[in-house]
Amino acid sequence: MEEPRIGVYVCWCGTNIAKMVDVEQVAAEVSKLPNVAISKSYKYMCSDPGQELIIKDIRGHKLNRIVVAACSPRIHELTFRKAVEKAGINPYLFEMANIREQDSWVHTDRTEATTKALDLVVAAIRRVRFHEPLQKRSVNVDPATLIIGGGISGMTAALEIANAGKKVYLVEKTDRLGGQVVKFDLTFPHLSSAHQLIKPIIQRTGNHPNIEVFLNTEIREVTGYIGNFKSTVESQTQGTLELTFGNIIAAVGLKPFDPSKIEEYGYGRFPDVITSLEFEGMLANGQLLTKYGKEPRNIAIIHCVGSRNKKYHEYCSRTCCMAALKYVHEIRACLPDANIFEIYADMRAYGKGHEEFYALTTHRQIIFLMYDQQGQLPVIRQANRNDNCNMVIEMDEKLSGESVEVPVDMVILMVNMEAHDNVKEVVRAIGVSLCGNQFFIEKHPKLDPVATTTGGVFIVGTCQGPKDIPDSVAQARAAAARILASIAQGSVAVEVTTASVNELLCCGCQTCVKVCPYSAISYNESKHSSEVNEVLCKGCGTCGSACPAGAITSKHFTDNQILAEIEGIMSLSYKGA
Amino acid sequence: MSVRLNPDVRNELMKFGIGDWNACYHCGTCTAICPLSEEGFLFPRKKIRLMQMGLEGQIESSVEPWLCYYCGDCTKTCPRDANPGELMMSLRRYLTSRYDWTGLSKKFYTSEIWELAWILFFAALVIISFLIVLPSMGYRYTPELTPDGGVKVNAFAPIHIVEAFDWTMAFVVASLLISNILRMYYKIIWKNSKTKVSLWVHIREFWLLIYNFAAQPKFSKCDDKRYWISHWFLMSGYTIMFIVIVVFLPWFQTEEILPIWDPQRLLGYYATFGLLFGLFVAIIGRLRKKDVKFQFSHISDWLFLVMLTLTVITGILIHIFRIYGMPMATYISYIAHMAVLVPMILIEVPFSKWSHLAYRPFAVYFMQLKKYAVPK
Repeated sequence: MEEPRIGVYVCWCGTNIAKMVDVEQVAAEVSKLPNVAISKSYKYMCSDPGQELIIKDIRGHKLNRIVVAACSPRIHELTFRKAVEKAGINPYLFEMANIREQDSWVHTDRTEATTKALDLVVAAIRRVRFHEPLQKRSVNVDPATLIIGGGISGMTAALEIANAGKKVYLVEKTDRLGGQVVKFDLTFPHLSSAHQLIKPIIQRTGNHPNIEVFLNTEIREVTGYIGNFKSTVESQTQGTLELTFGNIIAAVGLKPFDPSKIEEYGYGRFPDVITSLEFEGMLANGQLLTKYGKEPRNIAIIHCVGSRNKKYHEYCSRTCCMAALKYVHEIRACLPDANIFEIYADMRAYGKGHEEFYALTTHRQIIFLMYDQQGQLPVIRQANRNDNCNMVIEMDEKLSGESVEVPVDMVILMVNMEAHDNVKEVVRAIGVSLCGNQFFIEKHPKLDPVATTTGGVFIVGTCQGPKDIPDSVAQARAAAARILASIAQGSVAVEVTTASVNELLCCGCQTCVKVCPYSAISYNESKHSSEVNEVLCKGCGTCGSACPAGAITSKHFTDNQILAEIEGIMSLSYKGA
Repeated sequence: MSVRLNPDVRNELMKFGIGDWNACYHCGTCTAICPLSEEGFLFPRKKIRLMQMGLEGQIESSVEPWLCYYCGDCTKTCPRDANPGELMMSLRRYLTSRYDWTGLSKKFYTSEIWELAWILFFAALVIISFLIVLPSMGYRYTPELTPDGGVKVNAFAPIHIVEAFDWTMAFVVASLLISNILRMYYKIIWKNSKTKVSLWVHIREFWLLIYNFAAQPKFSKCDDKRYWISHWFLMSGYTIMFIVIVVFLPWFQTEEILPIWDPQRLLGYYATFGLLFGLFVAIIGRLRKKDVKFQFSHISDWLFLVMLTLTVITGILIHIFRIYGMPMATYISYIAHMAVLVPMILIEVPFSKWSHLAYRPFAVYFMQLKKYAVPK
């Protein structure tokens, strides 16, 4: 290995760092260390002149290692790696010391902050000496896509990809396309027909030459990695099939909550206590009658059934408030004189046009009654003979502070959306994680909402969390765009800082196979050694720390590098202590 | 104990006003901004809730609607345009109809035709009395003048008959109003099964009634004091005139032309000025619709203003024509004056908007009684 010639650059970050850290002193101190060829401080390292400075020095001073002490590597590591690469050195021969978030921003004593900055920079200098050049790798992408779930999200994504001329396999568990939306009558807040919305999509999906629809079909197993997946699907009509594809979209949706779990509402005991989906069916059939065949005079709509309640589900289902308001308009249209009670916990009208829809609905002569989710839920009981109604709801009305009895003939329960019971099978097959509510977890809740931590696997629609049609469709199109971009590129870059197994040291205990969260390690019987699939590996380092034989090395996080870093951080402050 | 919701009551209540209070989502801004709302007697939000839920019993036992003088701050600050000020106004109309045991008040408030028909009926009776009944008794129009050049009013409107009629009318109106106040007392204080108020408290706090009637200190707490002043002039002018024409008619309706500084004329002029000033402010306000309190005019609001204005104008005309010796003009003005005044008093005082002159001070008195109520 050639002798390291390290260039160190300490950033002022305007006053962000320079105010609390004596950057010039840090630069001067480290210049005395062995192997440090040059050491400078500069106002903004990330700026174009800052980067130019590094590039010029690399060329002029024949530097072969670079350390930048600035902000978090999360922000600018990539910037500097690119600059370094531009000057002709491997980008992994670079190290960053975070003296802003971890130092200047969180300390108040300038002397101590300067000492700490020095420790961090020295650690980076020690570490960078052991850096090795790593080569970028990429894999080819199979242009076909597997979509699991034939609801509005799955079909939208399928059409988007198929319209771009790429093959889609659409796998649906049930015997029809359309998901939950086909069960709706009208949609909020525009009160347009759900059927007119979904029917053309179903038709286009079914007839599209690039979409192969598998009904009554379930995923059994998925192997491979981004760009090159393989799957076994089991179709009730076509038997077991093998499919190959480059990307996966999970659009498995959610299912309605079963309200019979809530004793107070008597669902199942009272024939005229129905769920919102049953009511949608009633509306679609155009007959709004009680089980006794009479027109209901008093209709109550209970919100948050199974939602926002620690006993059932703590999360909000997001769509029920607006759907409940939608029913007001639908009921008014056929029963203009009916008394409508909206029994709610909080009104949530977050979406585009929703608040306006709420305001509009309040003028439809309805009675809003508020109950306390944390207290006693409303209780439905049979009415007495002389009550002139079918049932009575007893509740503590929060806004008036009164205990009231609400006369009702029909009760609609706005049921929560919850995860399918059998979702774990899909989850295991495609390698995504679930949150506490059994929703699929996205890669980043804000910046990467449709990708997952597994490359090439995307999640759209309600399986990621309850959402309405516009949000589901937006996610579907977003995932399709991501996939089409990777297909258009033909290949995708994969992680470079992966783990590798030293076959000579491996004892074959397979601890690594068990701990790997990405299923990237397998055991090779013939070699008596574990093997890492470098495409699946994310370089998390779990296997490396778990390996009892020390046979696994995580690239860019080798023992040498980490020990040197620790030595560096201890070398000045703790000297002689 | 739970109370049964009654949407029918809510639907009925909505007939008493122009607003739509269902838009209210109970943020409570109205109660926070109201200078008159106080602990234990919070409004308007709570009252909107009772109205939305149709809790009849609790609406009837509320004093709060009478504590509101409709400054309009609540309506101005309402984020939902739910118009809480107009709700309080509508509740006052509704309560007036609930205190009234004859059921006529509800008819007058909810049917314009009904109200106009009764006004015309009473006006016709008055005109018939002057044109047929009184002449048949020997009292008729005469062009003769008094020695000092005034009109002989007693010739066609004999003081003893008019006075007897005034007393009768006052007795009828007072009986109705007092019986309604007793019903109001029953609903607000007596009916409450949980608390009672001692007789001593009733006596001790009675002064509040007179104080609140005369000075309207609650109204003065509204941020905008202008309407308190104009309303006070209107009220004092009206009260003086009412007492003078009912109790002191022989002193007031004279044929003799008294000197201008005579107390009879000065009192009459003050009352006329008070009435005209108050009416002017209210009519201009309702026409301009600039202030919230005048934006929504129910038929009862306009009838009240128009009839009172006509009464005042015809009264002034009688005075002028009499002094300047114009017998026919005086005669016509007198009949017109009575034809407006009689239906106005018979309908407005016990059954409609004017009853508030009694209900408002009593409400303050009852509110005070409620404060001293003890558990039974």
